Order: sequence, then structure tokens, then C-alpha cells
Amino acid sequence: MIEMIKVSRTYDPNITALSDISLSIATGEMFFLIGRSGAGKTTLLKLICNMETPSNGLIEVAGYNINKLKGKDLAHLRQKIGVAYQDFKLLSNRTVAENIAIAMEVSYKNPRTIRHRVRDLLDQLQLVDKHDTLTGELSRGEQQRVALARSVANSPRLILVDEPTGNLDASTTRRVMELLTRSNKAGATIVIATHDDSIYQQGNHRIMELRDGNIHSLTRGSLK
Amino acid sequence: MNFWFAVFRQTGRNLRQTWTSQFMTFLTVSLSVLIFAFFYLIYTNMLGAGDRLSDDLRLIVYLEDEPGPQMQEQLRRKIQNFDDVEDIHFISKEEAYQRFAMQLGENSDVLQDMPTNFLPASIEVVPLKSLRGYNQIKLFSEYLANLPGTEKVQYGQEWVERFYYFTRLLTIVVFLSGTLLILTATFMVAYTIRLTIMGRQDELELLKLVGATNSYIRMPFLIEGILQGFMGSIIGLSALYGLFQWITAHFTGPGLLSLFQFSFFPPGVIFLIIMSSICLCSIGSYTSIRKFLRI
Repeated sequence: MIEMIKVSRTYDPNITALSDISLSIATGEMFFLIGRSGAGKTTLLKLICNMETPSNGLIEVAGYNINKLKGKDLAHLRQKIGVAYQDFKLLSNRTVAENIAIAMEVSYKNPRTIRHRVRDLLDQLQLVDKHDTLTGELSRGEQQRVALARSVANSPRLILVDEPTGNLDASTTRRVMELLTRSNKAGATIVIATHDDSIYQQGNHRIMELRDGNIHSLTRGSLK
Repeated sequence: MNFWFAVFRQTGRNLRQTWTSQFMTFLTVSLSVLIFAFFYLIYTNMLGAGDRLSDDLRLIVYLEDEPGPQMQEQLRRKIQNFDDVEDIHFISKEEAYQRFAMQLGENSDVLQDMPTNFLPASIEVVPLKSLRGYNQIKLFSEYLANLPGTEKVQYGQEWVERFYYFTRLLTIVVFLSGTLLILTATFMVAYTIRLTIMGRQDELELLKLVGATNSYIRMPFLIEGILQGFMGSIIGLSALYGLFQWITAHFTGPGLLSLFQFSFFPPGVIFLIIMSSICLCSIGSYTSIRKFLRI
């Protein structure tokens, strides 16, 4: 699903966020990115979803060189990638339901399907009572769950999640991970950037640790 | 859900969110269309009145002496040397007397003691339709005034001159109001769309990230422009029609205004004004999209 060959990303003035990253993530895999703040996790996710372009190297997603895609082709590929951003990117003047629906509206899903899917996701994340609440009025933990719901709403083939449990208690973290696991079992490839060792130590998924923009280690979770 | 359903829903959201600035733009476009259409309506009616007046245009060449048949033929040739004319009619002193008496009607008694040859002989020249410009008529009258045996030429100079200058003034006013329409429709819509784009940068960025196509993002803004142009021109023209009905109801009948036979725009012109307004507003919208919507 994802191929990265010698990918680097530098920012002016001469700050290296990522250096020579080569990585393959298979279709249907759940992959964890760990590392301290500033290690390059978020940059890596942004490069995969083409929010940023690499300074060097090649990135292929679903067989496409994502940096060469433009217009409709890029839009269609993005519809197949769900991203839960660290800063959530929610529209504060729209309701929770509207925020989640956006991901499906752009691919012209039937309004009834959208309504059902939104309700189902809110139910899974215990946010049903917030259906018509403006996202600006939610707590950070709730906003995080809405962002996550939006990322999986369109049943994407690839889900990129940046710190999905940062503002959540243990019970909600479990629900979030259940949602992601369900998507993974349905065939989605999932890349999760996290600090939270409780979520990546519980499986036998691959874990890549970044340090100062370099791959420090590539291991598997302890649970076999 | 298809593309257009999604786009129109998005347009509805845009309009709801920025309704105050949208309303102001809509008012400005309506007012601009009203001002332009108002002057253009007067202008077209004046041109119509001018056409009707010029149908009756006659140049009367008063002669010092009544010309004989040979002289008449010479004068006819001289007149036609300047240009072809619709008609040349020689009026003898006798005929002029009879016409005058007929015009006086019941009061023709006053002519009883007058000789039948006291009025001068004249030539009534009806110029061709193609020779109806003010300057051409002026040149023609000067030419006729210089013909041998001509005393003077009359064609209602003052009236024609005033009418001509008024029409020219109206042309300038129509041009200026047209320019106003272009500026307001284009710039106001461009400005409103720009405000909308600026105020919704977060949403536009998000739409891009979740895979909205360029047309999905751009089309609602373009539709806003088209709607502004359409609604603005409909309201502007409706207001003008109301004004027109009021004027025709209150100022028709005997009098100066009856001469003009006011008529409203034919459907073709209405369609053209609406389409122009839509085009201008779309251009304004498109300019802002190109300039400020980075996708």
C-alpha cells in the first residue's frame, strides 16, 4: 500500500525533519509510528497523504507516485485516504454530524447512507448525544473522537492517525482502538503515530521508532 | 448523491454563512442594473421617437421666384446631385396659398383680402432614410440654401438640433451607467467571493484534504456569482418595469410625452441584460476564485 524510498524532508533554514526513510507498508497492515515529539512522525504522515511534498525520494501510495498526482486523480486518491490530524482540523462552526459527513459528501455518497454512517460512528464512539453540537463546543477528547470518526467515515483503504488517544481516558482509548481494529479487519491499511505504548504493545503489529528524523528501530509488538 | 446536488448544497451553505455580504452585493447589482436599464430604456425610446420624427422630416426650400418647368428640372437635378432623395415636390405660390387656407380651416376668412400669390413658392424635399444623421441633414440644408434662387431652408433646425444633442447626452449616460454596471457587478461580486474564500480557508483546506475535486470546491463560488447576476438583474429589471408601468399610467395621454410612445424592452433585450449581468458577475467570481482559491 505504501512504498517510501529514501525519503527526506527538510525545512528552511536547514532543519531536517526526515532523513533517508525507506519503508514498505503492506495492504491491510496496522503499522505504528512511535518516537518523541519532533522525531518526524507527523511529517511522515503528512508526506504520505500529500499534505507536504518530500525534499527527496519517492512515495507511492496504492501504486501511485502521490507527488505526481494532480487534480481529479489526486482528489480520488485522497478520498481513499482517511486522516485524523493531530490538530483535528474540525470546522468549529459546524455540527459534529456535519464534520463527519464532509468526508462522504465529497465522494457524493447518498444522504441517507451518510446519515446512517454518521449515527453508527457516533454510537461506536459514544458521541450520539453530540450529533447536533457544534464542534467548537466540544472538549478536546470529544473533538479527537470526531476527527477519528471523520477519518474512517468514508471506509477508506488507508487510514492515517496522528496521536489518536492523546486526550482520551482508558475506556475511550479502548473504544477508539476497537474502531480502528474493525476498519483494519475490513481491509484498511492503518498507520498510527503515537506516544501511547498501551496501544501498540498490545498486538504483534510492526512498530517503527523515529529519532531525529531517522529510523531508529523497526520491531513488532510483544503480543503474539 | 450526485455532483450537482452536492455543489448546490454547498452553495446554499455558503449563502447562509455570508448572507449579509451576499445581500449587500445583491442590492448593489440590482441597483446597477436598474440604473443602467433605466437610462438604456430612455435611450431606446428616444431613438424610437427620433425614428418616428425623421419619418416626417421635410426640408422646405423657399424660393425667390416661382420656377418654370425648365428651372424645376434644373433644380431637381441639382438637388439629386447631392444625394438621391425620396421625393421632391414643387409647391407653387397658388398651392402654398391653398394649403395655408386649408390649415386655417374655419379661420380661412382672414385670407379673403390677400392676393393668392403672397406666399413664396417652395420645394419640399423628403430625404432618403439613409440620410437621417443630424450632420448629414445640416450639410444637405446648407447645400440647398446655396442653390440659385433659394431664399431660405427650413426643417425645424432647432428641434432637430436639440433632439440630436439630447440623444448624444443620453448615449454618454448609457455608456457611463453601463460602465458602472460592469464595475459594480464585477468588483462587488469579486470582493464578496474573496471575503467568502478568506473566511472559509479552513474549510476549503479540509475539503481538499478529504478529496474534494477542484470543481467541487470552485463550483459553489461560481454559482454564487451566477445567482448574484441572475437575481440582481431580475430584481433590477422588475423594479424598472414597475417604474415604467407607473410612468405610463400617470403620464400618458395628450401632451409632450405622448409623442414618445413609451415601450418597455422587447424580450430579446431583457434576455441580453440578464445574460450580461450573469456574465459580469461570473467573471467577478471567477477572478476571485483564480486569484484567492489556491487548490
